[in-house]
Amino acid sequence: MKKLHFSYLALLCVTAVVVFARCSKTVDDPVYEPYPETSLDQNAGTWKTYVITSGSQFSLPAPGAPTSAAYLAEVEDLKQMAAALTDEQKEAAQFWGSNGVLRWHEIAREFTAQYNVPPNYNADGTYPWPDPANPTVYPRFPFCNPPYASRAFALLSVAQYDALVAAWNLKFQHNRKSPAHYDNSIAQLIPANDLPSWPSEDAVVAAASREILKFLFPGEKELIEGKAAEHKNSRLWAGANVQSDLDAGDSLGRKVAERIIAYAKSDRMGQANNQAGYPALKDDAVARGFTDLWVSQDIPARPPMLPYFGNVKPWNFSDSVKVAIRPAVPPKSGSPEFNTALEELRDMVKNRTAEQWRIASYWADGVGSYTPPGHWNRTACELIYEKTFNEIRSARALALMSTAVQDAGIVCWDTKYYYLLPRPTQVDRSISTSTGIPNFPAYTSGHSTFSAAAAEVLSYLFPDHAAEMNELAKEASNSRIYGCIHYRFDCEVGLESGKKVGSYAVERGKNDGAE
Amino acid sequence: MRNKLLCTLLLLSVACSFLTAQSPTDALMMPQHQICILGQYASSTWDEYWEGTNKRSNSNLGTFNAASTMLMANYGITDRLNVMAGLPYVRTKSDSYLQGQRGLQDLSVWLKYRPLAIAAGPGEVRGFVTGGVSTPVSRYVNDLLPLSIGLRCPTASLRAVLNYTFYSGLYATAQAGHTWRGRTNIDRDSYLYNYQLYYTDEVPVPNVFDASARIGFIKERFQTEFWVERNACVSGDDIRYNDGPFPTNKMEATVAGWFGKVFVTRQWALHASVSKVFAGRNAGQATTWAAGTTYFFTVGE
Repeated sequence: MKKLHFSYLALLCVTAVVVFARCSKTVDDPVYEPYPETSLDQNAGTWKTYVITSGSQFSLPAPGAPTSAAYLAEVEDLKQMAAALTDEQKEAAQFWGSNGVLRWHEIAREFTAQYNVPPNYNADGTYPWPDPANPTVYPRFPFCNPPYASRAFALLSVAQYDALVAAWNLKFQHNRKSPAHYDNSIAQLIPANDLPSWPSEDAVVAAASREILKFLFPGEKELIEGKAAEHKNSRLWAGANVQSDLDAGDSLGRKVAERIIAYAKSDRMGQANNQAGYPALKDDAVARGFTDLWVSQDIPARPPMLPYFGNVKPWNFSDSVKVAIRPAVPPKSGSPEFNTALEELRDMVKNRTAEQWRIASYWADGVGSYTPPGHWNRTACELIYEKTFNEIRSARALALMSTAVQDAGIVCWDTKYYYLLPRPTQVDRSISTSTGIPNFPAYTSGHSTFSAAAAEVLSYLFPDHAAEMNELAKEASNSRIYGCIHYRFDCEVGLESGKKVGSYAVERGKNDGAE
Repeated sequence: MRNKLLCTLLLLSVACSFLTAQSPTDALMMPQHQICILGQYASSTWDEYWEGTNKRSNSNLGTFNAASTMLMANYGITDRLNVMAGLPYVRTKSDSYLQGQRGLQDLSVWLKYRPLAIAAGPGEVRGFVTGGVSTPVSRYVNDLLPLSIGLRCPTASLRAVLNYTFYSGLYATAQAGHTWRGRTNIDRDSYLYNYQLYYTDEVPVPNVFDASARIGFIKERFQTEFWVERNACVSGDDIRYNDGPFPTNKMEATVAGWFGKVFVTRQWALHASVSKVFAGRNAGQATTWAAGTTYFFTVGE
């Protein structure tokens, strides 16, 4: 009998070991490593800029010659630093050395996810709205919803790109190389290249990103400044720049960022949450013959999300083009076409497959996530890393895509508040969803418009991934039907609209001097 | 504003439904070659929950309900060693637009061993050690808390039970256990944990420590028991303000309850229980009732 006990206990122990192995909590988070420069892009200083007039708009006092006493002293400092590096400093050199442009987008995505939570209702059923003057007081500023996020990624990308064009212009004017070129006792911790290192492209990116992110996420000032300081210092620790490379880069990045912030202050985002103007939008929709208007499905009813975001200034076309490409009238509620779309959703509630659940969940990009613009930002960053783009090509790719994604948001929001089409759940309460119901009208689908615009630009930039990008956009679009958040026509028209919006950015890309 | 609904876990209330009849946490054993089959229905409801440590309601979620139907079996390998298995079917719903979930949850298997049974004074002291494992049996949705029927991660648990029973039938039991929980894979490939964004679909689920104390009275034909229990994750993050719950959350609950069992015949018993969460963190303030039946028989003697 005793023997039996022990054999069962032994079995239990073996099982426990196996199960504990399965109970591992290690998660597989990707690691990005530094890679060598793939091209110098000597002419990038002449590429077409977005906000600054051209790459030559800003000048800096010329750098000291590599033979000057000041420069030699800087190289000496670098060597002393290299002799006393901590493990953390070496890690930082690798971390930022992988591609500083992408690292700042990572930071932006993390902020987006952290700030993407709608404010809770007050006891009296009203909702508070974040106050940019008091960003750390609840509800924290900003509420980083998808339109806000689309603009944040666009402003960050444009600032990085314009600043890098200006940097490239100066780099090849003065042609001062990295310290290892002049002193072969300097061993760089990251791959070396022939790119002139004054002004430092990393300091330019750090300063431009720092200023833009402080503007967009003012409550994160200290964290952002800490990251920027680390980014710049990492270049000293890596032996890739001397201090004057960084100082010049910081100064240039800051100047360019000032221009981008001035642009952002006049892009009409300040009026996007004009709730007092919302009744006028409803009156206009009624005047157009739309009687069953969208109402908030939140309890208590929440003011619509950014009803005037459709009025924000687009990047790649004029306001009149925006009106010209506005999607056509959706099927009226009660029409046969509308009823067919509604019927599909009623079936979906009953027969949603596991795969449809997975897709709806994968693309939900809802509260606490980096939003659909953040999802595509990540995809773009992964492709850039795969193709080992240099900093300026990285920033260009992100600027082309992110401006298109914001334009898609603008066109989509304009359309949503033009027709004010109710969500499926408003029309039929028996429809249950697999994800939260967005607090704005249905037509057209934001996911579809954002995704098609992003896929159009990424297909242009990464032609060998074109088919995959279009498939992803289609899946993102379908996910909203699977989730019963959207009618099929919201999604199909949204995809067409987004593709059209994206084509304007592609056209710009073909003519910006980089091809 | 994604109207994603805020709320919290039913998880604890589901776990609590195990606490009736011969379970890993009590001081009862099946004699050798005896088997018991238990069927139980439990319903757990809450309309307030703790978001972190702040208690709140949520008009978008309204009232949350989870119901579980569980089948469990316990076999006496010897008088001192029992093997148990249980599998619940869980159904969730709320007043929100989010689709309620249903499905078979996790299959659990335990071994329960009694190393100690000695007469002491006016009664007997007994000690038990229980080891168990569980594994999800279906690929249920795990990223729609609180509507998900579970967290879909493997677990392993180890616990100790100490009991003193007077010859009069009065008893007291103390129990403590630790549950190791592994990763769960969600359908997304990024998520926030402790305000940090992770780029993976793998989510670490915190381990749980639990302890309970029971006093009761047991006779041949009936049993009645009052208990308090504390479940607490040993790590994890809080639900962000006005955001939804997530498998990484540090869930805690202190629960008090009553359990009673009556033998209708020598082989057939009915039981019922009620319990209420009275303190918590990242958990719903659930009131749970359960009712079930147990059938005892002998095999292979």
